[in-house]
Amino acid sequence: MPELMEDLYSRLLQDVRFEEGLKACMNCGICTGICPAAEYYNYDPRRIVDLVQTRNNDIIRELLKSETIWYCGQCMSCKTRCPRGNTPGMVIMALRKLSQELGYFTASEKGRQQFALKRTVGDNVLKYGYCIVSYDVDPKVHPEQGPVWEHYYNHMDDSLARLGGELNGREGPTRLIPDDVLDELKNIFKVTGGQALFDAIEEASEKKAEEMGMEFKKEGRDFEYYRHVVSADNSCHQNEPEDVRKDVYETGR
Amino acid sequence: MKTMSAHIVVAGGGVAGMEAAGTLAGMGYRVTMIEKDDAPGGHLLQWHALFPDRRPADEVISHFRKHTEHPNLRIITGTTVEKVRNHGSGVLVSLSGGAEEQADAVIVATGFELFDAHRKEEYGYGIYDNVITSADLEAMFNRGLVAKADGSVPSRIGLVHCVGSRDEKVNNNHCSKVCCVTAVKQAIEIRKMLPSCEVFCFYMDMRMYGPYYEELYRESQEYHNVNFIRGKVSEASVNINNRLVIKVEDTLAGRPLKMELDIIVLMVGMEMAGAGMRLAEASGMKRGINRFLESTDHHYGNNLSGLRGVFYAGTCTAPMNITDTISHARAAVTETVKYLNSR
Amino acid sequence: MYMKPEGKKRIWAEYQKEIPDDHFFYVRSCIRQTFFAGSEQYFLKILRDDLGKDVYEDPRHTTCTGIGYHGDVVPFETIQAVVARHFALATEAGYKHIAISCVTSFGIYSEILETWKHFPETLERTRENLYKATGRTFDVPETISHTSDIIYKFRDQIARKAKYHLIDISTGEPLKVVEHIGCHYSKMFPKYGVGGAEFPHVLVGMVEAWGGDIIDYPERRHCCGFGFRQYLVQANRGYSLFATRKKFESMQPYRPDMIIANCPGCTMFMDRWQYTIREIDGITYGADGQGIPVLTYEEVAGLVLGYNPWELGLQYHNVQSLPLLRKMGIKADPSERFLAKDGSRLPEPENLING
Repeated sequence: MPELMEDLYSRLLQDVRFEEGLKACMNCGICTGICPAAEYYNYDPRRIVDLVQTRNNDIIRELLKSETIWYCGQCMSCKTRCPRGNTPGMVIMALRKLSQELGYFTASEKGRQQFALKRTVGDNVLKYGYCIVSYDVDPKVHPEQGPVWEHYYNHMDDSLARLGGELNGREGPTRLIPDDVLDELKNIFKVTGGQALFDAIEEASEKKAEEMGMEFKKEGRDFEYYRHVVSADNSCHQNEPEDVRKDVYETGR
Repeated sequence: MKTMSAHIVVAGGGVAGMEAAGTLAGMGYRVTMIEKDDAPGGHLLQWHALFPDRRPADEVISHFRKHTEHPNLRIITGTTVEKVRNHGSGVLVSLSGGAEEQADAVIVATGFELFDAHRKEEYGYGIYDNVITSADLEAMFNRGLVAKADGSVPSRIGLVHCVGSRDEKVNNNHCSKVCCVTAVKQAIEIRKMLPSCEVFCFYMDMRMYGPYYEELYRESQEYHNVNFIRGKVSEASVNINNRLVIKVEDTLAGRPLKMELDIIVLMVGMEMAGAGMRLAEASGMKRGINRFLESTDHHYGNNLSGLRGVFYAGTCTAPMNITDTISHARAAVTETVKYLNSR
Repeated sequence: MYMKPEGKKRIWAEYQKEIPDDHFFYVRSCIRQTFFAGSEQYFLKILRDDLGKDVYEDPRHTTCTGIGYHGDVVPFETIQAVVARHFALATEAGYKHIAISCVTSFGIYSEILETWKHFPETLERTRENLYKATGRTFDVPETISHTSDIIYKFRDQIARKAKYHLIDISTGEPLKVVEHIGCHYSKMFPKYGVGGAEFPHVLVGMVEAWGGDIIDYPERRHCCGFGFRQYLVQANRGYSLFATRKKFESMQPYRPDMIIANCPGCTMFMDRWQYTIREIDGITYGADGQGIPVLTYEEVAGLVLGYNPWELGLQYHNVQSLPLLRKMGIKADPSERFLAKDGSRLPEPENLING
């Protein structure tokens, strides 16, 4: 797609969230100061915004292939504070979308995880009508959910009945979403580009799996590439530059 | 001389108003200065010492007191100018309370208001005891005591630049010009009063534009050990020990930083004064997107209102320091005299 | 408490959002219905039975796709059309006020309404997309409320019917309550939240009306750590745990009795990570080192109104509420927590906090 690789900044501008999210940044750092991701990862949202506002194609392309655009947790705390009315979190969302559309996301470890998000949340939406469904939160995969969830999961009918619900019932919590409703959702995804984004993620991921010599399946989660993307951690994401000032002042006095 | 008996109303008795009124009176004009407070002096009355040389504000106040003591100068206090309009060959001035003054010319010197720090909710002014403004700190200097609300001695104070300035969220995109140098001045004063107290300035850009400002900045580092961290403070909260905790990015290190402080000083910026806005609204004077009065040309007409016989002086047109305010007021006097002579 | 109430009241007065009195179109939450189904059921019960309100639920509504949207696999155009479909269902049923059970959804609805206001062409495109995909048309709703807004609105009515209060009956002292709002409630669009973005009033109002005291602690405004992809992908979960741990470390010196949470995701994470932190580091937080129960506002309202804690679903938290219930004077038989449909006892889960 060489013509798409031309002006990446213009591509970003087509995203209304980008138009809303970036006016002009003066590098004050108010976003990074309260950013949960910046405290955990080697990450600085201010820096991303500053790089994007260069409008330099090569810089933006590098960002689209980078790890750094995948660290944000989209809490959007930056939106409340920015004195220039920017939203770094929205700039990130636009970058991530473009990275997936162009297949660049598979160039980074964190980017490749988008495949897992598509195969979980993405598939759930069109299969069940909800992003998360109780029978898909397997305690074996989610040990952090603790004993209470394991119990609930193993006695779902009973537990739900106590709470006034019925698993796959006609109404109420965790009801079954009928096929005609799911068809409406699927049509919406087709008409609005949701399906196209799913396809782009699938296609680039399959290609990447092949390149990495890993097993790939067209459906489900039980195969090598899926297991790889959800668990791979090269342990470099948290490497912080040395900062004596931070070390001293944060320990308090 | 006929023109010398002309009557000029000066709206506002701060630095610009006092300079213009006193000068015109000295030249032989009949002058009426309208001041909204009980006495002229404006914001200067609240200040302890002035940058860059930290001279006592009292010195400048007594200068202006003398400057405005003149038989040709009548001062009306507790009153505001509500409206001006051309009437015959002069200007009809409506005052609060319903009185009117017939003038040959008017100088608008309604000045600025300090940004209301409550509006930056994330800094906790009015919520946390030890979050104060630069004006509150001046009052502490006047009392000769910088202390926490419980009376204890602070060991670490942070000065937050650009509070209410350069900030779209409070509809102020402008720089208030004087806050950076005020912060440096106040930082030095704290260090002199409390030699064991650490002082930090959190700034976005150090705008030391005036004579001896940059030198003051250097002095603050070289002789007073004031610390400068480049980053706009994100928020302030309080911990169990009633110490303030701020979050900020140390942008030069590129890392988020949390710090405990005993006192936070918010360097509040300048906004167009409410009385000036009402006057402008009622009289059809143009205001810029920063809400300050907009002159007919910001290079060679920046005392001209566009209304016949009405001139602007001082910070009702833009943030200024005292020196520039005085110069601007003198220029307004020149424009006024030129106008009166040409009638 | 160091926060001056008069200062906050002054700010709250600036953010008075319109919360309708009646006739709501209800949309459920992926996370709340999955993990705290009792909360959704009791919201409906309290509104309908205790307050006599009309709340309509169309079983054909779905997720808003918000977790997918903030997980970056669902485009903005898509989520606009899915939300518009809910508006269409509301329009067809004659409802103008949407009641949203999820803070992520609420943030998205706010973002969409604001986008439509500032970029009217996006509303037109959404109308076209929805019609093309489903044949449906819609009116833009008059109001959107998070379901906590509605409980907030009726907090005094609930207080008047209260059987229990957020008070330690043995001392008469108010319980010390941490409130957690959830970032997407009003950080993005302060005017959509009750009381704005900084320390909103929505949960404070409930807690104070029902007798409790709010704790103001340094990390009060910090994110719970969900971070969407940061929790959903196993390799990233350290992010999520790190953020939650930071909040707990920050609130611990105040010895909180409980947390009341606005957002279903936050409720879950703050509960689940307490279990994980105990398993990893052996640390339990809270006034007596017994963990800090994390309750939804529906659960708290239900307790105040005297409903059975086990029908509200309090047992489906890793941090069990038995010490809290005792403090409030609520008698609840712990052996009746885990029952089957036929009323027989299920085996009890092991290793709960305060189990």
